[in-house]
Amino acid sequence: MILEVDGLNKSFGRKQVLKDISFTLETGEILAIIGPSGAGKTTMLRCINSLEKCDNGTIKIDGSYLCKDYNNKSIYASSEEMKFIRKKVGLVFQNYNLFPHMSVIENIVEAPINVFGVSKNEAKDKALQLLNTMGLEDKINSYPFELSGGQKQRVAIARACALEPKLMCLDEPTSALDPELREEIAGIIEKLVDNGMSILIITHDMVFAKRIANKIIFMEDGRIVHEGKKAEFFNNYEDDRIRKFIAL
Amino acid sequence: MKKKNYFMILLAVLVLSIINLTGCSKERVSNKDSYESLEEKGSIVMGLDDTFAPMGFRDDKGELVGFDVDLAEEVFNRIGFEVEFQPIDWSMKETELNSGNIDVIWNGYSITEERKEKVNFTQAYLKNKQIIITLADSSINNKEDLKGKKVAVQNGSSTLEAINKQPEIVATFEGGEPVLFDTNNEAIMDLEAKRVDAVVSDEVLARYYIKQKNPEEYKVLEDNFGEEEYGIGIRKEDKRLIEEINNTLNEMKKDGSYQKVYEKWFGENK
Amino acid sequence: MISYIYTLLPSMADGLIITLEIFFLTLILSIPLGIIVSIGRLSEIKFLFKITEFYIWVMRGTPLMLQIVFIFFGLPIVGIAFDRFTAVLIAFVLNYGAYFGEIFRGGMESIDKGQYEAAKVLGLTSYKTFIRIILPQMFKVVLPSIANEVITLVKDTSLVYVVGIGELLRAGKIASNRDVSLIPLALVGIIYLLLTAIFTEIFNKIEKRYSYYE
Repeated sequence: MILEVDGLNKSFGRKQVLKDISFTLETGEILAIIGPSGAGKTTMLRCINSLEKCDNGTIKIDGSYLCKDYNNKSIYASSEEMKFIRKKVGLVFQNYNLFPHMSVIENIVEAPINVFGVSKNEAKDKALQLLNTMGLEDKINSYPFELSGGQKQRVAIARACALEPKLMCLDEPTSALDPELREEIAGIIEKLVDNGMSILIITHDMVFAKRIANKIIFMEDGRIVHEGKKAEFFNNYEDDRIRKFIAL
Repeated sequence: MKKKNYFMILLAVLVLSIINLTGCSKERVSNKDSYESLEEKGSIVMGLDDTFAPMGFRDDKGELVGFDVDLAEEVFNRIGFEVEFQPIDWSMKETELNSGNIDVIWNGYSITEERKEKVNFTQAYLKNKQIIITLADSSINNKEDLKGKKVAVQNGSSTLEAINKQPEIVATFEGGEPVLFDTNNEAIMDLEAKRVDAVVSDEVLARYYIKQKNPEEYKVLEDNFGEEEYGIGIRKEDKRLIEEINNTLNEMKKDGSYQKVYEKWFGENK
Repeated sequence: MISYIYTLLPSMADGLIITLEIFFLTLILSIPLGIIVSIGRLSEIKFLFKITEFYIWVMRGTPLMLQIVFIFFGLPIVGIAFDRFTAVLIAFVLNYGAYFGEIFRGGMESIDKGQYEAAKVLGLTSYKTFIRIILPQMFKVVLPSIANEVITLVKDTSLVYVVGIGELLRAGKIASNRDVSLIPLALVGIIYLLLTAIFTEIFNKIEKRYSYYE
């Protein structure tokens, strides 16, 4: 079990955006979280990546508690432990958030060198290897502004991979891409799984979810409405909401 | 509203502390005579505006020269002090003196009633008139002719004080007031450019400027705006220093060394 | 005429040296101060925020000339006395530190919050995030405003006349009054223009260097 989320609640002011979210992700699985915008998908992802703190509930990543519910309040791990836990999770932002003043290779080696004290040469070798698998070997010294959307995304994935996370999160990976590039990113994600990673994808791209996921969670209005295997989900015509959403 | 209050309080504190500070500075003036401590140091700081030719300025090598500089060096030499010349901004002269940054103001410093409230003066060491200068071909020949004309004066100068003592004449100037300039140099340049018709200025300064330019181009009128005298400004509490300087000046006038300095700077013109 | 200008040069050079001393010392000290001020201004600690806000208000809300006068003539009354040059330098650094602080704050606020989040997700400490991610990007953003301030500073150095320090403009005034001539002032004007041209060129070079990315 790579990820366990249990009883997660989160409010911004009076508005409750996550309502009692519980699910699990098995090692090597690809989980797609789908649902209309405003359903709380991104907030949940941000909680898992500790960009937001949840109000109560438990998040357990690869056996370590990021936060644990205690008397109906989430108690977070110490900052030392957080550093350790955070390394297990990678995040690829929807708009990638590459560092514009750094070249492709500098973007990738930044954290290994400056956070985890990997030697420059080692970090560089690793980065070159990653860029090779992403088909970016000719863009090593380019700057983000010189890259296409798909190339930027691959750099962002490579940057996250450089820390060897066990769980990779992708926020709307196909939103800024031409439909033809879906297949390319799907291929890369499958490669990550082959290397032992587990994947959590947030998307409202049904075609993409159908193509890549083993498991699907459907969220609406801060709640998990449906959780199950892919085939189960796409054949679920009993639930009005899901049927409507699939038909989109 | 709350924020506004906060700023008002800060503002009040600021204003109060400034009032407090100025209050303190007045106390400071009534301090003790500093002569003994000057004697101990063996040196005295003389404040002067080093842009002020011919009294105190810099030659093209950057050395301080001028009538006041020569005279002061001789006076303090006789008293037994070494002189440190400290350039100051003329508008800050009394502040510099009373805050103790300088010990004397000595730089063509005219004795006026207003200034006497802030500092004490030594005896006068140089007579000066407020003269009227025009271009040589001007139709202005006396004070009355200034009626309806543009008259230039240095701002903040004793000249300005002097002409304001004759408000009935000032009222006849074009616009009912003089045109003010930062320096006499600028005033005379404007006269040359014919943007003003006459300049009223310290004789000492004016003669220097005219000498530097072409004396033939200018006319100095018989009429003047009164005489005045240059003195040395001393802190009110420094009674002993005044005495020493006065004695030395008298001595120098007697033995002819004062006249020597005078001739060096003004000899030909007077 | 040429030989007259030649005689002016030594005193102009002396003045220029003072001008440049004030200029460079102010720059070297006020830019780091500006960074600290901007951090204080963006701080979530209310006390720190209020203090810097007040400081910026006072420094930008009063003339630099007044600040020089206050530090040199005012502070000795409460027993804090600086010599002329130090007093002037303190006033300049405090004043320019406030302006730079506001420029840097604007620069930092213009940086997308996604940059902070990306750094956080990668595990960078807030110090490293600031030094390696935010600061370099901020400098590019603020460079034109900094260049502007630098040019203003060149000319502001002439304000030190109020405590009698003989900088370039004063050297010009002395010669102008002594020789009853406008030539020294024209020469001073040309020197200021040259200085401005040099600094403009330097900043163009730096901006070019930072233009490797968009």
